[in-house]
Amino acid sequence: MNQDDPKSSIEVPNAVLLPVDPETGDALSPRLQPGYYSGFSTLSQQSFWDPATRKVVLDRVGSSSPLRFFSADEAKFWEAVFDHLIPQTDRTPDRRIPILPALDDRLNRNRTGGYRYEDMPHDQEAYRLGADAIQQEAQHRYGGDFLVIPYLQQDLILKALHDGKPAAAKQIWKRMSVHRFWQLILGDAIEAYYAHPWAWDEIGFGGPAYPRAYFRLERGEAEPWEVEEQRYEWAAPVYSASGEVEATHEFLTEALQHRSHARLRERQP
Amino acid sequence: MNKPVLGPFESPADNEAHMLGTLQHIDVPMRRFKELEEVDYLIVGVGSAGGVLLQRLARAGFNVVGLEAGPFWNTERDWVSDEAGSHELYWEDPRVTGGTDPLALGANNCGKGVGGGSVHWAAFTPRLHPSDFEIYTRDGVGADWPITYEEIRPYYEQLEREMPVAGPAYYPWGHPHGYPYGPHPMGGVGNALIRGCSALDIPVSIGGPVAILSGSHGDRPHCIYRGFCIQGCKVGAKASTLITHVPDALHRGAEIRDYSMASRVSVGRDRRVNGVHYFDREGREHFQRAKAVILCGYAIETPRLLLNSACPGFESGLANSSDTVGRYLMAQAGTVVLGRFDQLVRMYKAPPAHALTEEFYETDPKNDFARGFAIQTVGPLPIAFAHQMVAAKKAWGWGLRREMMDYNHWASFGLLGEILPWPENRVTLAEEKDRFGLPIAHVSFNLHDNDHRLIKAATKKTTEVMQAAGATEVAHEARYAHLVGAARMGADPRTSVVDKFGRSHDIPNLFICDGSIMPTQGSANPGLTIQALAARTADYLVSQADQVFTSNDRDMTPPPFRPDFAPPETWGKGVPRLT
Repeated sequence: MNQDDPKSSIEVPNAVLLPVDPETGDALSPRLQPGYYSGFSTLSQQSFWDPATRKVVLDRVGSSSPLRFFSADEAKFWEAVFDHLIPQTDRTPDRRIPILPALDDRLNRNRTGGYRYEDMPHDQEAYRLGADAIQQEAQHRYGGDFLVIPYLQQDLILKALHDGKPAAAKQIWKRMSVHRFWQLILGDAIEAYYAHPWAWDEIGFGGPAYPRAYFRLERGEAEPWEVEEQRYEWAAPVYSASGEVEATHEFLTEALQHRSHARLRERQP
Repeated sequence: MNKPVLGPFESPADNEAHMLGTLQHIDVPMRRFKELEEVDYLIVGVGSAGGVLLQRLARAGFNVVGLEAGPFWNTERDWVSDEAGSHELYWEDPRVTGGTDPLALGANNCGKGVGGGSVHWAAFTPRLHPSDFEIYTRDGVGADWPITYEEIRPYYEQLEREMPVAGPAYYPWGHPHGYPYGPHPMGGVGNALIRGCSALDIPVSIGGPVAILSGSHGDRPHCIYRGFCIQGCKVGAKASTLITHVPDALHRGAEIRDYSMASRVSVGRDRRVNGVHYFDREGREHFQRAKAVILCGYAIETPRLLLNSACPGFESGLANSSDTVGRYLMAQAGTVVLGRFDQLVRMYKAPPAHALTEEFYETDPKNDFARGFAIQTVGPLPIAFAHQMVAAKKAWGWGLRREMMDYNHWASFGLLGEILPWPENRVTLAEEKDRFGLPIAHVSFNLHDNDHRLIKAATKKTTEVMQAAGATEVAHEARYAHLVGAARMGADPRTSVVDKFGRSHDIPNLFICDGSIMPTQGSANPGLTIQALAARTADYLVSQADQVFTSNDRDMTPPPFRPDFAPPETWGKGVPRLT
């Protein structure tokens, strides 16, 4: 990254929000391309894609259509939430992947995945109710607007939803499953972030391969245009609550796999 | 390596051609029937079953129209190698899902557009086992089919050639058999399954059975291993009825009316159906007259249409005197077991479906449950994998980013477990309406004790195989796969919706032919069975000539097997190992 670039230096986040070197504890500088495949670029291969695929991917990269569903304030709020669901402070500002445009387009067209859980309102309403609930949680826990409380406190509020343990907005959570709401917003974040070719570069996914084909199928071997993995160690930022994962081996069905959902049901006979 | 030598790849044909894969295109103008014209057979839903029926009936000389709610795909123009860009392939109209174990619908199990689910299936094509047709007799669970394995067997063999299926020369489970095309080379996930199974002395089928070409077949090229099978195969290597049966259907004078959403099957005073009301793309209502109607809308839309067609004399919906329409809906346990390996896997390469074992398929008296499961390869692309990490490891934020950076280290197996048919697992009508004003489907799904015990054992065994393959970490995402049942076939009109040929017990010229007529599901992916049942129903209809149109009599004589009605491409093209 070019540290002299005034645009990026203004937006370089506070060091406590950056991933760190686990050995030294030092913050790692934001990268053009985080992940272990430095030099790999799916977009560089676009001439090998079919025209329809090229168009759909390039439209996504260049997309800057105005928001239609979210108001400016709502957009600001959800941008802040998505900065936690999929944090991107390890990316240089010019290489952050927009989450909101795809979601706004989906909600504006009222497009869904083809079903709604019976304990959930429609997606459009779920987003409005959820924003209200998150704000109530911020007031309840920290006595402030979600957008003005510190990043770590924001993270802890969202972790409460992740854990299925919101303390406020009981009326809203009676109308809407905490777990299914969490699944909804995290799912939308995923479907925007991992649809972007920069994310493919980050994780070493080869991307579209029609009509060229893949031909090294075994042992994880790289195609000539792919690169070998170059790992580096990193840990989640000091000021974050999302670094840990836990495997839920004891839950064998979809409904039980999300403990928060099960617990909430028990509380509300 | 940044540019092809001859310039960027462009579409292989001019923009006017209606392409079905890289080479094949529709080369005849489609016949158009008038709505006032009474066609012989009106098919609702041109998917796995509807595509086969359309082709067979047209070839037999019937006037036949297929109504399809989605588009008639031009694969070069409409399909992309992209997860987020493929939503149009799935049935994403509103539905409500509930019960104690609500099913994910949409992309998980419901297709839309010509070809239906066969456009986005992974194309695993195992047959049901002989035991599947009599699990009530054998184990006292579920239901028996009104037919035996031997009755469907010629149709399995036939459809395996029409698709055609690649797989091993000797397949040991159920009724042992071999496959016409040779097996596919292995990807990283298949190698992991082979390694794990071999270490535990579990037999494993390598390179199939999967309806993806391992060698060229006429104007269909072989697989290029790009991994986007469930986003629609642009190559034309993976079989879908869109490319295997629809072209011949059009040659033989069938019509497909796309963007046509059936709203109501019409019944006359004689208590026979006489046509179907439907909405076109602009929301205009139409009525197509027909001498007989075949519903092929799959396990949710078929019962929904029957229920939405309620009318005087059929107050609880058509073909529903048994109160069985919508009931006994089944999905298979489809838990994905994920294993992380020190070495790279790169599971996005090769078809998701390329190796499996059915060693645990049958009832084992040592188990505390009836029936069994299969273990298969799956190859989630990044978005699907991220969803799995959310469920399996409760990942979000930085944890999710970190897991995803290891995407290339993971392999995943899908267990496919038999969930039994239960009457309260059902499709009903919700109060909510769709954009045409039609009540939408409500799907209720609940697991029972046998299902829970089977899923537990299957998850444990699949985890063992993953560990034996060398995974250093194993996690799982519990989920469901496929949908069948909800208009089941049976000999007794009091407990089933259709007879063994798919004819409704209540209305002699109303047929149902799709996954919804299956009384049980085994641990086999249902696509092959659905197409085989369609070919068999077609043979029955052909054997009846115009009896179905003129008589209320129900001839239960098994029809002669008519391979001569298969698409002509089935023979004399390609490089099959068996002919």
